[in-house]
Amino acid sequence: MSAPPRSRVIPLGAGRPTVEVLDAAWDGALPLLAREYHVYAPLLPGFRQSTGLEQLDDQLDLVLHCFDVMEALDLQRPYVLGESMGGWMAAEMAALRPRDIGRLALAAPVGLWRDEAPVADMFGMMPHELVPYLFHDQSCPAAQGLQAVTTLFSEKDDRTQDQVEFLISLVRGFRTAAKFLFPIPENGLEKRLPRIEAPTLVVWGTEDRFVAPLYARLFGEKIPRARVHMIENAGHLLGLERPEPYAEAIVRFGRGS
Amino acid sequence: MKFSWFHLMPYRWLPPDFRERYHSVWVDIPNRLYDPVKGHQLYNEYLDMLEYADQMGFDAVGVNEHHQNGYGMMPSPNLMAAALARRCPNASLLVLGNSIALYNPPVRVAEEFAMLDVISGGRLIAGFPVGTSMDINYCYGQNPATVRDKYREAHDLIIKAWAEREPFAWNGKYTKLRYVNLWPQPIQKPHPPIWIPGLGSLETWDFCAEHGYNYSYLSFSGYKRAQKMMDGYWERLAARGLEPNPYAGAFFQQVCISDTDASCEREWWPHVDYFFNKCLHLYPGTSSAPGYVSEASMRAGIVAQVGNTSLNMGQNKSWKELVEQRYIVAGSPATVRQQLEELARSLRVGHLAIGGHIGSSPIELTNRSTYLLATEVMPHLRPIWSEYEDHWSPKPLPRAERVVPGGQNEAARRAAERPAAA
Repeated sequence: MSAPPRSRVIPLGAGRPTVEVLDAAWDGALPLLAREYHVYAPLLPGFRQSTGLEQLDDQLDLVLHCFDVMEALDLQRPYVLGESMGGWMAAEMAALRPRDIGRLALAAPVGLWRDEAPVADMFGMMPHELVPYLFHDQSCPAAQGLQAVTTLFSEKDDRTQDQVEFLISLVRGFRTAAKFLFPIPENGLEKRLPRIEAPTLVVWGTEDRFVAPLYARLFGEKIPRARVHMIENAGHLLGLERPEPYAEAIVRFGRGS
Repeated sequence: MKFSWFHLMPYRWLPPDFRERYHSVWVDIPNRLYDPVKGHQLYNEYLDMLEYADQMGFDAVGVNEHHQNGYGMMPSPNLMAAALARRCPNASLLVLGNSIALYNPPVRVAEEFAMLDVISGGRLIAGFPVGTSMDINYCYGQNPATVRDKYREAHDLIIKAWAEREPFAWNGKYTKLRYVNLWPQPIQKPHPPIWIPGLGSLETWDFCAEHGYNYSYLSFSGYKRAQKMMDGYWERLAARGLEPNPYAGAFFQQVCISDTDASCEREWWPHVDYFFNKCLHLYPGTSSAPGYVSEASMRAGIVAQVGNTSLNMGQNKSWKELVEQRYIVAGSPATVRQQLEELARSLRVGHLAIGGHIGSSPIELTNRSTYLLATEVMPHLRPIWSEYEDHWSPKPLPRAERVVPGGQNEAARRAAERPAAA
């Protein structure tokens, strides 16, 4: 028997209520949220140094692990925020144990599918080709950062050991996402959404090319107590591209206004 | 030394501006480029080439599996092998192979391989590739994070299905069957020889070493760039205290021969160019799904490079470069003889899988090359590795016990076509 799955949790801030941010691979809006909340950002198994992915066979294992993290942190009915893949996981959590999630915010989650608006295939393109799908403003620092990473994917075999390890950790994150979302990021969430009881904010960039804004409407319709908030001039990775209005929307919704 | 004659079955009519106009030869190549009537011609012409190789004394005729691929028109290699089984009475059938994680349930592979072994009188070599990422992940939707695990389970199930004489239950992670009871069973016992084609991963070496299978390195970049891969395999065997028997290794090499080096270039360059510069037009974004290559293999630099964008398979090279760098072995019989000997000795392989058809080459040209290989090259190389015993070739029924396809037809016709009784 190998070791049980372990998530490394990044705690941030000292505010009263708690926000648990799923799949926090980036800084993004976390420092802004930490002004208001005590934020726990778990790096789930298979991301960076968190281990035990092989123990999570399917999405039920994954979601139960999220609850294990929540319980290990002794969080009661927390405000759960998930972005993209994390948004899918947060929605699954809230649908599986509706009474245990106090409040929910889903930032451009994956998890639904419409043939007329296929979710971009993040597993079937080169990293630099992902940039225009993830960012509306490709000159923003985060987009430039991702663009810079892609220079490591060159034909030349002149990478340093550190760069190789960095690339491997990048691929590891993609692999983890693939385990649950390949080849189509849809596993029946739609029929579970009506089970969600938490007040839910669905937040989306108007220019999201990764998961089209059509899905904002769908999540809004299927989740009983949902409110949809669109952020102008923003792509998919809201927290990285437009951290201020994004964090503001999360905080305002958290205050119940 | 043993020789198989291997076909990829490329589509011959990709447009001249294919590279400029289209995204990739694989996965999302538009199927409007495929004309089934031309395909009819090609399948039959290609099977004729393989039948000629059988007649010329090659030890095996080889086919493989690709999906949604402009240079590999065999989504089902077993259909091709079945067609060959009755028309090629001599050679082994090298099916290299079935990507066993794709079949649901995997006993389908055990059944079809058993059928081929029975039809052919025990001449099957069973190939069990993991499969390329293009085929198994992008075309067939297998999860890259779990597909190797699924592959190993499928392998264990197939081997057990071939071995067991009573129905058994299989409670796997990926396959659950209450009754596994293979019917028919293969002629070769305990099962046909198993070859594992590898593109380059540590796991495949270990898998072959662990089970005593032949490791077949399939590469389009020629033997000079294969040294590290084959050395790694032999070292892996040695580390386990196993004999580095050359017949435990196979290598795929594209070869073309003509009367002289100059005539070879003149006759073959258009077809070689077609292969390297059209057929290998691959989109790197779907070359390797995340997780398909293990971290250990990435770290060991086994896969040429992490995130390699060109796949480094010889695109954009001239005839001179391709020949000098041995992406292809090409030239007169003497040239090819010398280079294939160098290949065999440097890589230490006892089984040479010859890509005897390249790109767009037509049957006359291809068969001329096959003829020269069989008559001017093979006899000189046969003695190499004769001090070793080949445990990885089929053990068919003795000739006298094998049915000659169609052999009873005439007598049966005479008996059948008697006048009706009043």
